[in-house]
Amino acid sequence: MSSDFEAYEQDFGTLTAEITNKIGRIPKLAGEEKTQLVLNVDKQLEEVRELLEQMDLEIREIPIQSRGMYNSRLKSYKQEMEKLEKDFKRSRIAYSDEVRNELLGDDASSSESQLIKLREERAHLLDNTERLERSSRRLEAGYQIAVETEQVGQEILSNLHSDREKIQRSRDRLRETDANLGKSSRILTGMLRRIIQNRILVFILGAILFLTIVLAIYFNLRGH
Amino acid sequence: MDNSGKEKEAMQLMAEADKKVKSSGSFLGGMFGGNHKVEDACEMYARAANMFKMAKNWSAAGSAFCQAARLHMQMQNKLDSATSFVDAGNAYKKADPQEAINCLNAAIDIYTDMGRFTIAAKHHMTIAEIYESELVDIEKAIAHYEQAADYYKGEESNSSANKCLLKVGSYSAQLEQYPKAIEIFEQVATSTMDNPLLKYNAKEYFWKAALCHFIVDELNAKLAIEKYEGMFPAFSDSRECKLLKKLLEAHEEQNNEAFTEAVKEFDSISRLDQWQTTMLLRIKKTIQGDGGDLK
Repeated sequence: MSSDFEAYEQDFGTLTAEITNKIGRIPKLAGEEKTQLVLNVDKQLEEVRELLEQMDLEIREIPIQSRGMYNSRLKSYKQEMEKLEKDFKRSRIAYSDEVRNELLGDDASSSESQLIKLREERAHLLDNTERLERSSRRLEAGYQIAVETEQVGQEILSNLHSDREKIQRSRDRLRETDANLGKSSRILTGMLRRIIQNRILVFILGAILFLTIVLAIYFNLRGH
Repeated sequence: MDNSGKEKEAMQLMAEADKKVKSSGSFLGGMFGGNHKVEDACEMYARAANMFKMAKNWSAAGSAFCQAARLHMQMQNKLDSATSFVDAGNAYKKADPQEAINCLNAAIDIYTDMGRFTIAAKHHMTIAEIYESELVDIEKAIAHYEQAADYYKGEESNSSANKCLLKVGSYSAQLEQYPKAIEIFEQVATSTMDNPLLKYNAKEYFWKAALCHFIVDELNAKLAIEKYEGMFPAFSDSRECKLLKKLLEAHEEQNNEAFTEAVKEFDSISRLDQWQTTMLLRIKKTIQGDGGDLK
């Protein structure tokens, strides 16, 4: 009983492999060959369905305890078959896409991979847009900073200008003060000289007076 | 603790100084070195004033300085008197602005008498600042700034003169004396245009002048912008000029939203300051007024 099941399993395996192979080839063909292949695949799918039914009957003959494993295997086979049927249908519809793709030089094989590609492209584009937005925001911030820097520069320049004038004025005043100091020092030296002259004069006059008095007394005494 | 002690000392000094002055007033004192006594009294007043400053008693300090200044005048020490008046003004600034202005005016008179116009101009600026901030009397502030600018021009310090003139300009525009403001801004802009250090400021002054033109009349603004572009080619590259052109368009079409949008765009890059926003608001109001009751 289980050996029968295993035989069925092997048959199932070979059949599904063939079917997958043929389904892969269908889109690339056209016309007479294609219709033949399609009929072929149809027949094989029928065989697969019969196999599955027989597997089901086999399982019912197995005692309940060991049924679990066979049941799950049967389920997975059924799912595989459904997937094969879906692929088969899609491969028949994908006819126009395939030929078009061949014409336009694409090697996309089915619409599903196209969908995936589209989704990827969209994600890529969104990414790009986000990057662009980020960079434009940064550029604006940079521009703002540049404008601020320019304004700061303006202020500094005007401050420098006014400082320059202040320094020039102070320098001129210093020179004036210097000249004035020179003049005053000359005046003072002049004053000092005059004072010395006056003092010398006073001494000379004093000396003359003294001499005159002494002479007067002398002549007086002489006269006596 | 320390401060109140200083105050007491200061009061004592003042009393002593008063006595000295009185004593020197009498005939005998005048004969026996009255001058000497008055000088001493001056010094004591100054010391007392400094102590009041330490104790933060600004009005007392101010009055002490004023006394000292008057004594200096008596002794014909103009320079010392002027400096004492200035000190008094600074002390009063913190307590009684009006008194400060009086003292500073007295100081300015002395300085102009002596021919020191630069420092007189500086004090005019200080007085104008007091009017600006504490007494909020814009007209008087304008008058003082103008005086200061004239003195500075007389002394060939053009940058300080320009600083004062700019303040005069902005305040006159605020008070809606637009022709005067326009003239001042244009004058300042043309004088800074050629100076390599200051030419980056020129575009800002042209922008302000054009704003004032705009408030008065739109056609004026257009002519003015063309004139400025002719005089100063770099003006046409500036963002302000572009904003002006956009604003002119919006004004022609009476389009309130385009106006606001253009202003917002400019503001997002470099903020508009208080004065400029006030002017732009006035322009906007004229648009709304012309547009009738279309809200």
